[in-house]
Amino acid sequence: MNNLQQKAQQLLESGNYGLIVGYEKGTSGKARPVFIRKAEHASKLIFDESCDQNIAVYLYRQEIKHDKKKVIVANHHTLKSIVELAAENQVFDGDFMVLAFAENGDIIELNTFKEIEKHVATLYHGLTEAEAAMMKKIEDMSLEDRWAFWENEFSKCIKCYACRASCPMCYCPTCTVEINQPQWISVPSHTLGNLEWHVMRAMHLAGRCVTCGQCGKACPLELPIQLLTYKVALDSKQFFDSVAGTSICADNALAIYKPEDHENFIR
Amino acid sequence: MARIGVFICHCGENISATVDCEKVAKVASEFPGVTVSVDYKYMCSDPGQNMVKEAILEHNLTGVVVSACSPRMHEPTFRNACAEAGLNPFLCEMANIREHCSWVHEKSDATTDKAIDIVRTLVEKVKRNEALAPIYVPITKTAVVIGGGVAGIQASLDIADAGHKVVLVEREPSIGGHMSQLSETFPTLDCSQCILTPRMVDVARHPNITLYTYAEIESVDGSIGNFNVKIRLKSKSLDEKLCTGCGACIQKCPVKKIPSEFEQGLGKRTAIYVPFPQAVPNKPVIDRVNCTYYIKGKCKVCEIVCPTKAIRFDQEDSFVEVQAGALLLATGFDVLKTNFFPEYGYGKYEDVIDGLAFERLASASGPTKGEIRRPSDGEIPKKIVFIACAGSRDPAKGIEYCSKICCMYTAKHAMLYKHKVHEGTPYIFYMDIRATGKMYEEFVRRAIEEDEVKYIRGRVSQVYEKNGKLIVRGVDTLLMGQAVEIEADMVVLATAGIASPGSEELAQKLHVSYDKHKFFSEAHPKLKPVETNTAGIFLAGACQSTKDIPETVAAASAAASKVAGLFSNDLLKRDPLIAVVKKCAPPLYSSCTGCFMCIPVCPYQAIDKEEIKDRSGNIIKTISHINPGLCQGCGTCVAFCKSKSIDILGYNHDQVCAEVEALLNEW
Repeated sequence: MNNLQQKAQQLLESGNYGLIVGYEKGTSGKARPVFIRKAEHASKLIFDESCDQNIAVYLYRQEIKHDKKKVIVANHHTLKSIVELAAENQVFDGDFMVLAFAENGDIIELNTFKEIEKHVATLYHGLTEAEAAMMKKIEDMSLEDRWAFWENEFSKCIKCYACRASCPMCYCPTCTVEINQPQWISVPSHTLGNLEWHVMRAMHLAGRCVTCGQCGKACPLELPIQLLTYKVALDSKQFFDSVAGTSICADNALAIYKPEDHENFIR
Repeated sequence: MARIGVFICHCGENISATVDCEKVAKVASEFPGVTVSVDYKYMCSDPGQNMVKEAILEHNLTGVVVSACSPRMHEPTFRNACAEAGLNPFLCEMANIREHCSWVHEKSDATTDKAIDIVRTLVEKVKRNEALAPIYVPITKTAVVIGGGVAGIQASLDIADAGHKVVLVEREPSIGGHMSQLSETFPTLDCSQCILTPRMVDVARHPNITLYTYAEIESVDGSIGNFNVKIRLKSKSLDEKLCTGCGACIQKCPVKKIPSEFEQGLGKRTAIYVPFPQAVPNKPVIDRVNCTYYIKGKCKVCEIVCPTKAIRFDQEDSFVEVQAGALLLATGFDVLKTNFFPEYGYGKYEDVIDGLAFERLASASGPTKGEIRRPSDGEIPKKIVFIACAGSRDPAKGIEYCSKICCMYTAKHAMLYKHKVHEGTPYIFYMDIRATGKMYEEFVRRAIEEDEVKYIRGRVSQVYEKNGKLIVRGVDTLLMGQAVEIEADMVVLATAGIASPGSEELAQKLHVSYDKHKFFSEAHPKLKPVETNTAGIFLAGACQSTKDIPETVAAASAAASKVAGLFSNDLLKRDPLIAVVKKCAPPLYSSCTGCFMCIPVCPYQAIDKEEIKDRSGNIIKTISHINPGLCQGCGTCVAFCKSKSIDILGYNHDQVCAEVEALLNEW
């Protein structure tokens, strides 16, 4: 048993914690989320490179809402999402403990939002080199080429909403696509309607996307839709110096006004 | 089933000249749900309104579209007409085919088609309109007046005399403002303090007025009828209840050489001080920046000499919160300092002073007891050059406007100088003489003709010092542009009036608009000169633009009468076009996710939290709640809400979407 499994076992045996949300070994070399309620199952837990899923998405789910105090094993995406969810009042201080990992693999216990926020400040915020290269490729395209690129991508979308389900920030019980009085976004899957959906999703994530890229990974058609939300995240940083997932205060760039906000885009 | 009436107005020829109104009415009559569609020359006239009323009764209409001018113009007219005929006024909509169509297009079929489109969108909207009832908000009959100069004093007295409570907030230790600094006032040359100080005392004595001096506005929220004003009472380091104003502390204070703000730096004051002898309240404050105790930690002479033991060195700033129905801004103005002008020596010559400093020299209570003596050596100047428009009307200096008061006070200054120093010669360099008030022109003529003030029409390019004299180099444009050089003993600059420092921050706290010079903006330059664009906040005096005393007092009384008018009702009637958080059946209760990101979005602080509880009182969900008394219906939260959980009554998602679809879809 490794440190994490031992720790999990202790926590569950202590009786103070009722549920551990973490990762277990999945198929084809991938990790998948696991919900552990019994100490003897603690040995299922793993934490390695393959654990890239953002499991903050489970924290506010009805299914685990009534479990006794929870523990979540968090990678750095999950940590940032927890901070952003805290800022948006979707998770509550003291409801759960976070097990994060230091560079050397040591387990760090984070009990309060303040501690999580402090830990997140030490993490890297931004795109990976590969992601930045993809962004640059699209931004370098001419307007026509870019439109053609996205038109082609959106034509493939089947509106399965896996992107929505995978995103920790998509917590609305009634999503705009499900509102039918009036019907803002068309239901069937066609290029224009798909575009409406993806643009709306990106705009709703403006200043809130922590660039975990989970939406793109979840997409069964492998559309690079994470680039849309990355774009608004980068704009939010560039224009308002606001990075989602760094502060537990309600300071969304689009929700607050500051005297020093740029106005040069108003013409 | 909808029964909509459409009424197309010709507006004389305003609309019918470019729009074929008969055709619009005919086409509209075929829209689904339209029962009656007629056109008429003047729909807003009595016969026109009667057509609407009769149609409502005859056809039992469920909605009315009046296709005419902007809703700003006649929406209330037609909504009232509908109400008189028994139809809920919010089932009446205006389709603006004048400003949005006939006035901006040539006569053509396309123009008529556009009018038809506009009517169709409103028909689709009004089908989805709901009957709404106006909201009544109680009015707190207290006014907060910000600024205790002559404007604030006058407004406070007027409102208080009308029987309402007033809270007067002044940031200096005494009320009185700039008027208390003035020597004599144009055009009658009566003593400024003699006419002002009785009013100051009236303020202090008035049972309806609460006076907070040495206080500033910390924050304001709420809206017309119900503002919540937080006031910071800066520490005076003094227990005001114990202090009798005997002045022993002031006499004994060892720090005596602080330039007095009231004397424009020409006189000195102590660290514990009252700004001037007639101050109201006549109780001192400790200037902590200059007080030896606060700098070095010892002294406390004032505490020792105080017979009532009123000094409180550890006193901290305190706060009071005031509920108010209206706010009145009377924060006044300031003047540019002489260091603004490179050509006049950047403020390095002691004997180049601004107009306010000259007022102190000429004032009987001033540092020279009213004798005109120059600041550098106390000599009586033989020649004084007054320079009008110092900064004003000079786009190169960033001040395009005329400061308005300088022509008159410069004439007054020259006159006072001549009255006090008979052998002296006053010169005035001017651009134009603007003396347009009652008895003003006569006053200037008197200065020129009786008091022999030498007016030179031209600008001054440079002032420099040479052999103890100030050399003023200018031009006389009435002598074909001849260069003029005057050896003066003193130079007085009629520097431009500018917005009071801190105006911008205050405007932002109050959500009041201001111009590029930081003067507060009136709601309408002609018809709403003392109102701001924020309902319930009024303007008085020079915080709006520089004004002389009669104008300031008139504006203050005007603003006070607006406040008194507002307070004459117990309830404020408001249109119910406000935002609401949508609720629905359990288990969802509301699609609101409780992210509360709408709270910082709201410019009116109208959003708070609401707990949905079950029968045993357990909290099921916490959602946003919009205070109907504060919401102004701007719709910012509606646009921001991701889950579309907020609607504006009268402009809900369904109605707006129907309008858009009506425009986009082929008919």
